[in-house]
Amino acid sequence: MFIINCPYCGDRDQSEFKAGGEAHIERPKQPTELSDDEWAEYLFMRKNIKGDQFERWNHTHGCRKWFNMVRDTSNDEIKLIYKMGEKPPTK
Amino acid sequence: MPLNLRVKSSNFIDETTKVSFKFNGKTYHGFKGDTLASALLANNVHLVGRSFKYHRPRGIMTSGSEEPNAIVQVGNDKTITEPNVRATEIEIYEGLEATSQNCWPSVNFDIGGINNFLSPLLPAGFYYKTFMWPASFWEKYEYVIRHSAGLGKSPTKPDTDIYDHKYVHCDVLVIGAGISGIIAAKTAAQNGFKTLLLDEKNELGGTTIYQNSDNFKIDNKISSGWLSDQINELKKLDNLEIKTRTSVASFHGYNYLLARENLTDHLSKDEKKNKIRQRLLKIRAKKVIVATGSLERPLVFDNNDRPGIMLSSAIKKYADYYGVICGKKNIFFTNNDSAYESAISLFKKGINVQAIIDIREKSNSSIVKEAENLGIKIYWSHSVVDTHGYKKLKQISIMQLSKDGQSFGGLNKTILECDCLGMAGGWTPAVHLFTQSGGKLKFREEDQVFIPNKYPSKQISIGSCNGDFELDNIIKNSSNDVKKFLNIDKTDFDNLSVITSKEASKKNIWLLPSDKAIGKTKPFVDYQNDATAKDIKLALREGFRSIEHVKRYTTTGMGTDQGKLGNMHALGIIADTTGVKMGEVGTTTFRPPYTPLTFGTIVGRNVGEYFDAFRRTPMNDWHINNKAEFENVGQWKRAWYYPQNNETMHEAVQRESLATRESAGILDASTLGKIDIQGSDASEFLNRIYTNAWSKLGIGKCRYGLMLNEDGMVYDDGVTTRLSENHYIMTTTTGGAANVMAKLEDYLQTEWPELDVYLTSVTDHFATATIGGPNSKKILNKLIPDLDLSNENFPHMSFKEAQIGKIKCRIMRISFTGELSYEINIQANFGKSLWEKCIEAGKEFNITPYGTETMHLLRAEKGFIIVGQDTDGTMTPIDLQMDWIVSKKKYDFIGKRSLYRSDTMKEDRKQLVGLITDNPKEVLEEGAQIVSELNQSPVQMLGHVTSSYYSPNLNKSIALAVVRGGKNMIGKKLFVPMKNKSINITVVDPVFLDKENKRLNA
Amino acid sequence: MLNYNSSLKEDKNYQGLTVREISPIMKLNLRGKSRDFLTTIGKNINMILPMEANTSSSSDNYTSMWLSPDEWMVLSNKIVDKENNNYDIEKLLFNKISKTKLGSVTDISDQFVMINLNGEKIFDLMSSGCPFDFSDFRLKVGSVTQTLLTHIDVIIHHKEANSVNLFVRRSFSEHLMSWINDSASRL
Repeated sequence: MFIINCPYCGDRDQSEFKAGGEAHIERPKQPTELSDDEWAEYLFMRKNIKGDQFERWNHTHGCRKWFNMVRDTSNDEIKLIYKMGEKPPTK
Repeated sequence: MPLNLRVKSSNFIDETTKVSFKFNGKTYHGFKGDTLASALLANNVHLVGRSFKYHRPRGIMTSGSEEPNAIVQVGNDKTITEPNVRATEIEIYEGLEATSQNCWPSVNFDIGGINNFLSPLLPAGFYYKTFMWPASFWEKYEYVIRHSAGLGKSPTKPDTDIYDHKYVHCDVLVIGAGISGIIAAKTAAQNGFKTLLLDEKNELGGTTIYQNSDNFKIDNKISSGWLSDQINELKKLDNLEIKTRTSVASFHGYNYLLARENLTDHLSKDEKKNKIRQRLLKIRAKKVIVATGSLERPLVFDNNDRPGIMLSSAIKKYADYYGVICGKKNIFFTNNDSAYESAISLFKKGINVQAIIDIREKSNSSIVKEAENLGIKIYWSHSVVDTHGYKKLKQISIMQLSKDGQSFGGLNKTILECDCLGMAGGWTPAVHLFTQSGGKLKFREEDQVFIPNKYPSKQISIGSCNGDFELDNIIKNSSNDVKKFLNIDKTDFDNLSVITSKEASKKNIWLLPSDKAIGKTKPFVDYQNDATAKDIKLALREGFRSIEHVKRYTTTGMGTDQGKLGNMHALGIIADTTGVKMGEVGTTTFRPPYTPLTFGTIVGRNVGEYFDAFRRTPMNDWHINNKAEFENVGQWKRAWYYPQNNETMHEAVQRESLATRESAGILDASTLGKIDIQGSDASEFLNRIYTNAWSKLGIGKCRYGLMLNEDGMVYDDGVTTRLSENHYIMTTTTGGAANVMAKLEDYLQTEWPELDVYLTSVTDHFATATIGGPNSKKILNKLIPDLDLSNENFPHMSFKEAQIGKIKCRIMRISFTGELSYEINIQANFGKSLWEKCIEAGKEFNITPYGTETMHLLRAEKGFIIVGQDTDGTMTPIDLQMDWIVSKKKYDFIGKRSLYRSDTMKEDRKQLVGLITDNPKEVLEEGAQIVSELNQSPVQMLGHVTSSYYSPNLNKSIALAVVRGGKNMIGKKLFVPMKNKSINITVVDPVFLDKENKRLNA
Repeated sequence: MLNYNSSLKEDKNYQGLTVREISPIMKLNLRGKSRDFLTTIGKNINMILPMEANTSSSSDNYTSMWLSPDEWMVLSNKIVDKENNNYDIEKLLFNKISKTKLGSVTDISDQFVMINLNGEKIFDLMSSGCPFDFSDFRLKVGSVTQTLLTHIDVIIHHKEANSVNLFVRRSFSEHLMSWINDSASRL
């Protein structure tokens, strides 16, 4: 059970949150222009990294805001939390 | 008169309060403060159980939670009895009844004991080797295995005890109230940290609290006295909470720990009543100090398991703490100095100590010298090679060891009389919690122990669980480590003068030599599971190398004690046999819980009514008063049908359905999700999330919308109403409400933050009564006479704001049944009253309340889908034959691109169709498979029935189904094969009633 | 003509804790981001919306609670008329905020049931079903938090010493109340 530092509400128990999958997958602006393969890439393909993973989380049972998290999947260490719309750190 | 083997020296036993209890049907007496184990020993009862595989007689071995043998069944009522309780942990109370496990008919005469003599036939991996063939016998084997598997008996009825959970937050959590835990807790609390101190025992102070030896002094006081003073001061500190009888079960990431607080197990039956028995503490600690101490190791030699063979430290605790004499003739067998502490302590109490057998050549420590001065006979360089006595130890055989300790210095065997043998095999730091939290261990070669290496969170381990075994080191290192950890300058424990006996020589032999071939010996490593050194060697011979594999093959460490005693020996034997260094063999994973938890503790109060939260509508009381049956829809309790005069469900639903179409019906639709949408981009937002177009929807008009996932599959549906230019109210399905709200917020926050749209859930703010049927207009007119209900003013798919008295409400003319129908939404606290008014106004029209089942039937007649019943996350709107709702003009909406993927465009996808049966009385089963050929092998499934009813309005059976390529199969004859028959069906259009929508436009 | 029925049927008293629903209370949900939104609200209810997370502000008539960076709940300090649910303040704010495209104003008076907890055992009750750390919250009157109590979403407002208002969705209120009673009976 993590303690997650919601960028709006502060430290909260993980049970107040929901994970929302990989971060920074932007919805294509012109889906109709994409081939089946390109669309499938957006729709289905997700990374499953051992190490630093970029994730989306939602403070479902609190302020209901989405935010981004960098989490090391090998030891569950939360390395960074930043708001939606902010740029991911470059590695 | 049973024996009472007591010495009058205990500060911890209240000898003025006698407690009677029953063990195996016989009544015994103990004192307040005794554990079942100490009380039994005081009554000279050693034989308490039988081992798992060989049914060998076993006695009490330890004095703590690591006990492998003395596992008993508590309670004599088989409906509420509790199995697998450690006799060393139960504090006796008046009326306690316990029995031995794993024996029949009794622990004294156990038929399973024959396994002991069959043991050559029961090697490691016995099950895998024996029950493999012939395969057809498996079911017979399974029966036998199931009946011999498991320890103890489960209760037959639900647990009647009360359990609870509690969330606890603290700055510093100290686990273990031995000397280092006390040092840590006092330091933390004195420095302003909100501190929580836990200990699994009922008293604080660990082993030091009964250490009354001149060899161990702190600040010029005997260590027990010094610690007792510290504890008294500790108890006065404000920001410290102490919980005894509380065992930490698990240590997770982010300093989240679960602990079981035992509140009433030590109380008499009367005192327990109506109290919480156990409480699961869910602890979040900013910092954790682990001070869990260490566990004494047994020694591994032939027949090291007889009743009367115990841990040396346990014998000491029984004498010093409980005032109980374990044996009349005691011998200690050791590889280190700690047996000398025990021997001296016993000797000074006047308890006979026959000898100490030490595998070492010599030791010059002060404590050994004291033993020598007291005249205790010491056999240096000797080892126990065998023990004798079946149900109680009688004798041991010892031999002199060779220099390397791997064989013997001669053939002379000495036989010594004794009824109690104390084993002292050294100490294993209790690193279980540390490793559970993700910590990695390192191996310390000089004394062969695993100790914490790197801490994965804000935590430290101190004291003997960190590998400090000597008093001066424990005090010095504990206080220094705590200082550094808590960032403080000084403690009460800096520069204390400490006198201790320094251990001068160490020697460890994991498997002691025997004068017999190993095949003829039983050197037990895991007592409970009867895994011996022989089994481990066999596993290695058969090619197992990984410790995890050896563990599973031999079952070493898989008992209820989880290898607390024997795992290190298993590792040592593997290392010695394979020539690999012990640190490289590694350990098995330490899994939670540290000691077993009851299911009650895990579940807490989340049982029965509180298993899951339920939701009620404002009209709920009316439904109950009118004998509604309820259906669970998500967390909602919805009225299902309203049986009258002993009607069956079918009869009630037929009546409700007919009445609604003939005159009027009323449905509680309050559970539908409702989302208030405001903002200048509200219309654009709806365009993007629904498949159809919204910009041109007139104010005051309603529109049905279908929401897809990005993969093109139907996600939710509902009617949305335009209240004003930039103000909509959306309805969602009952079950989908929360997810839809979350999904919409997701898109607004992450993909389209530029849209000026605000969402607010108003599901619970409104109560919704839907009145439908040809007479619904007349009823509504009675209710709100000043509202113009003409088709011109208030047509189908439109909305009016109205007032009932001074109470504003919203009325939508929409229909899910195909009837003329009005949905009245009113502030929830007026919902019940509104409902009653509708019933009253509708009386003359026989207004009939109907539940979800009739609603489902009515909409199926009309061919309306229910998302989640007729769809399953794999249906596109095209599959549902709802092409009409998918805008061709809109550039984009959620899921649009997926509708043009090669897969979603396939002609032979499952598509929604209607079905009728050749026999109109035959109702199909929902979920039944549909085929075109009956005699095919394998038979090809075309699809399945999703909704099926007997329609009283059409006087025939109707069904909705999804069928491969169904769109082009209208008129085709298919089959629904059932267990004993096959039903002939015809594919039809899914709209069965009023295709022209005459009724809803009436 | 229509009768008002609050959600919970009776008040409960325990050693160190009383539990009762307070109704009718007018509750509005306000959402908006712009400076104009904030000043317009401020002017019309004579109170500045709290900008700091997990806090509230109060005037004579209203209390507003921070729910999110762009969301607040405003509630009436006193109970309102049972016979009438046309609130002037709602109409006013809707016209000044929603109609002018500054944000949204939504009546949620019955979306939430307001349960008042009173007594020194409030936080003992909370700890039996809520993962939130109340260490700071309990020291600060005016604190607000949204969290879970026995797996149900709640908004908790520290109204004054030994007095906390708990906001729960109406449909869950009966279940929550039953759970509270069960828990409180063993505190």
